[in-house]
Amino acid sequence: MMNVYPFVAIVGQEMLKKSLILNVINPGLSGVLIRGDKGTAKSTAVRALADLLPEIAVVDGDPFQSDPADPKTMAPDVRARFAAGEDLPVRRRKVRVVELPISATEDRVVGTLDLERALKEGRKTIEPGLLASAHRGILYVDEVNLLDDHVVDVLLDSAAMGVNTVEREGISFSHAARFTLIGTMNPEEGELRPQLLDRFGLCVHVAGLNTPQERVEVVKRRAAFEENPESFAERWGEETAHLRDAVAAAIRLCPEVRASDEILLSIAERALKLGVDGHRADIVTLKAAKALAAWNGRDAVTLVDVDAAASLALAHRMRRRPFEDVLGPHAA
Amino acid sequence: MVVIDREVVNWSYPFSAIVGQDELKLALVLVAVNPAIGGVLARGEKGTAKSTAARSLRELLPPLPGGARPAFVTLPLGAAEDMVVGALDFEAAVREGEIRFQPGLLARADRGVLYVDEVNLLDDHLVECVLGAAESGENVVEREGQSFRHAARFILIGTMNPEEGELRPQLLDRFGFAVAVSGETEPGVRVALLRRREEFDAAPEAFCAAHADAEADLAARIGAARDRLHEVRISEHLCGFIAEICSRNHVAGHRADLAISRGAMAFAAWEGRADVTADDILKVAPLALLHRTRAGALDLPPPPEPRDAAGEPASSPEAAADAPPPQEPDSPMAAPPPPGAELQDDVQETGAAFSVRRIERQSLDRVPRIGSGRRARSRSASKQGRYVKSTAARGRGDLALDATIRAAAPFQQARRAAAGPGLAIHIREADIREKVRERRVGSFLLFVVDGSGSMGAQRRMVETKAAILSLLLDAYQKRDTVAMVVFRGRTAEVVLPPTSSVERAAKLLAELPVGGRTPLTAGLGEAAGVLRQALRKDPTLIPLVVVMTDGRANAGFGTQPPHAEALRAAEALRERYPAAQFVVVDTEVPGAVRLGLANKLAAALDGTYFQVADLRAEDLVSIAKEHRP
Repeated sequence: MMNVYPFVAIVGQEMLKKSLILNVINPGLSGVLIRGDKGTAKSTAVRALADLLPEIAVVDGDPFQSDPADPKTMAPDVRARFAAGEDLPVRRRKVRVVELPISATEDRVVGTLDLERALKEGRKTIEPGLLASAHRGILYVDEVNLLDDHVVDVLLDSAAMGVNTVEREGISFSHAARFTLIGTMNPEEGELRPQLLDRFGLCVHVAGLNTPQERVEVVKRRAAFEENPESFAERWGEETAHLRDAVAAAIRLCPEVRASDEILLSIAERALKLGVDGHRADIVTLKAAKALAAWNGRDAVTLVDVDAAASLALAHRMRRRPFEDVLGPHAA
Repeated sequence: MVVIDREVVNWSYPFSAIVGQDELKLALVLVAVNPAIGGVLARGEKGTAKSTAARSLRELLPPLPGGARPAFVTLPLGAAEDMVVGALDFEAAVREGEIRFQPGLLARADRGVLYVDEVNLLDDHLVECVLGAAESGENVVEREGQSFRHAARFILIGTMNPEEGELRPQLLDRFGFAVAVSGETEPGVRVALLRRREEFDAAPEAFCAAHADAEADLAARIGAARDRLHEVRISEHLCGFIAEICSRNHVAGHRADLAISRGAMAFAAWEGRADVTADDILKVAPLALLHRTRAGALDLPPPPEPRDAAGEPASSPEAAADAPPPQEPDSPMAAPPPPGAELQDDVQETGAAFSVRRIERQSLDRVPRIGSGRRARSRSASKQGRYVKSTAARGRGDLALDATIRAAAPFQQARRAAAGPGLAIHIREADIREKVRERRVGSFLLFVVDGSGSMGAQRRMVETKAAILSLLLDAYQKRDTVAMVVFRGRTAEVVLPPTSSVERAAKLLAELPVGGRTPLTAGLGEAAGVLRQALRKDPTLIPLVVVMTDGRANAGFGTQPPHAEALRAAEALRERYPAAQFVVVDTEVPGAVRLGLANKLAAALDGTYFQVADLRAEDLVSIAKEHRP
């Protein structure tokens, strides 16, 4: 097991950390887009998140991560076994962070069929792709704005439907692919397409730390970690345990959280005032506000939660067309 | 054997529980009643229940004769052509030695729904396959001497966000109905919507159960309307009324007339009537006209006087209110100049953008390229694109089944004798053929912009910026990379290194000043530097260099006159980068005494010459009612 820098030892970047934790509390938030410069702990935070993730039950040996309790989303062969009354082997494991490299081909992402082997041996075999591994987990794309358009299309298809469909060479195959999408990008290198942007529930901007003390602290901790990762992790062990418990408690509390009509109205009014596209903004703001309330140990959403949630959920959804800054809102 | 499975189901949000979006719901119900309308295109911003509504229609379609549920097939954007239209069944070929057709998505969608999310992002050739089949009701596949055809009568539902590029007008026209969708603007409605969504997310199963009755009623009403449809009549004079609506709105072709009359009949059936009224027609006309008329308001005439006693009263305030307000005419290119316009460094604003014609030449070399986009046609280095032929060259793992079997065919007797019984076809390594594909890729656009003082005269820069901006918008939709070199004063400068952030380019453009002399040679020199770097990074690139200048070079390096020097530099640039295409956009004011210098520059670059006004695309059809509240 590789040594991972502990989440709790990351200096500053509170918004980033909060947005990641909210996604662990409610995976329905469908992800975070992290915008910012290089070297601002983006990747460190995402990798460190793995340590805080809860456990889920999966059917052992199934490359499609089927949930033993949900026949509707099971992979076809697992469902067939389930229907035949087989006692499925269950394994509990942590929610996974699957990394999608920028250079990944579409085949690698959606899965593929080894056609040459099929032709020589007369058998079709499916190689599951990254979307299969990421089902019920986190799909992490560093520099998501540099992803090839075709891969983006595939991500959009599965993010929209929660299903990945492989359609090629005489084969048609679907499996459930619901994942939390976490992406990082440096806006200087190109923007995201609006549809993909909208699929990220939350968006945070990160910048380098400002105070010299903080910067010194970053360097000191990093040096300590690199010198001896085990003892560093141990030093932060207690805080990590606290955080893990707090996250677990929030996950339990989250489904109980209620929002009054007044809260809902305030969300709708904000969205209208800012002129966001469509309704996904409202839905995500509500979900984030509920997760925040749960995180703060409350079972009712307050306007403070809405404020904080809106700052994460609305900025990247403000209605703007490509070039609106230049053209004004009514041109093109 | 692989289990082929298409029914991974999520709980889908019920149609009857969708808040608002009445026009979209009406359009979907009408095509469910009468599939002959020819499909629905839902256009609009993200997150407005376009997909939710389309998917939920599935539960409402009447069962097929025999009781089976109609299919609901989603066409993924990444689908290969084979899988859409069908392909050879290779298991049959390999195991039984039989040439058999394996149907694709179009066959599966027969008598059901074919749903395409983001239809404007689908490769053009796939869109054509789909729309062709939708219209003719059958799919014809011609493959390597084999011809297959099968029925493909489906309801086509597409969604698109026009920001990401338009469908070509010919393709738009093939959708029976189009609906512009946008978010709800009433806070109360948004709250209701949030509550519903919250309930659904918390307990989808219970939510669906709670709406089961409403869904069943709706499905029954659609079924009844479909049964009644053949009884519905439309009178002669109302057919005339439809023709009048279409001609008033300058609709080309007759698809709109058909869509309106079929839609009106479906609406009458849906309302439980056997006679179409003028109101029915006015109700459905906007659905059929949105995507077929020029920009501006729909012109809906008042209903005709009823000709018989059974006619309806002849007024329709509701339909009149539905018509969108007239749009403002395009703002003129030049706004009043800001104070201080005559100062040396003058930042002129950007004129109104327009849609540009194609400026690149089609060149099809044999170099496969990765990446994607929508500009240049190229051999494809991935498994995307149209299968044009096969090759024995290996490397991409993109196996061409038909060609492989053909290659193996002559040896079968000998191999069978040697290997004994087993598979029906014996394939050896040497038989393997791969597909050669073609696709569109994004390009690299390098703008070389004249920022000299002469560009400021008569507000030429306003127009030039408008032209660049228009090209940038086009570049955004075609997924190009852009870079920009500006020359003015004594030097040239790379103001924007290659980036796919076309927005950054647009921001920079707005701030671009004019003033000083015209060092055209220096500009071309910087362009060469950018080209060298870009080509070193990706040698397969086809750069498109757009030089925007009046060609009046008046600052040079050496002893030659600056203009002659610039022409020499241009020739050198062309010789050095034969892969690049050059376009010169002449910014000289029309009407004035023309020096024709830019034209000479174009000749030296062996490039295409345009005047700014020539860049405009002939605007055949644009969208009538892309209203935003």
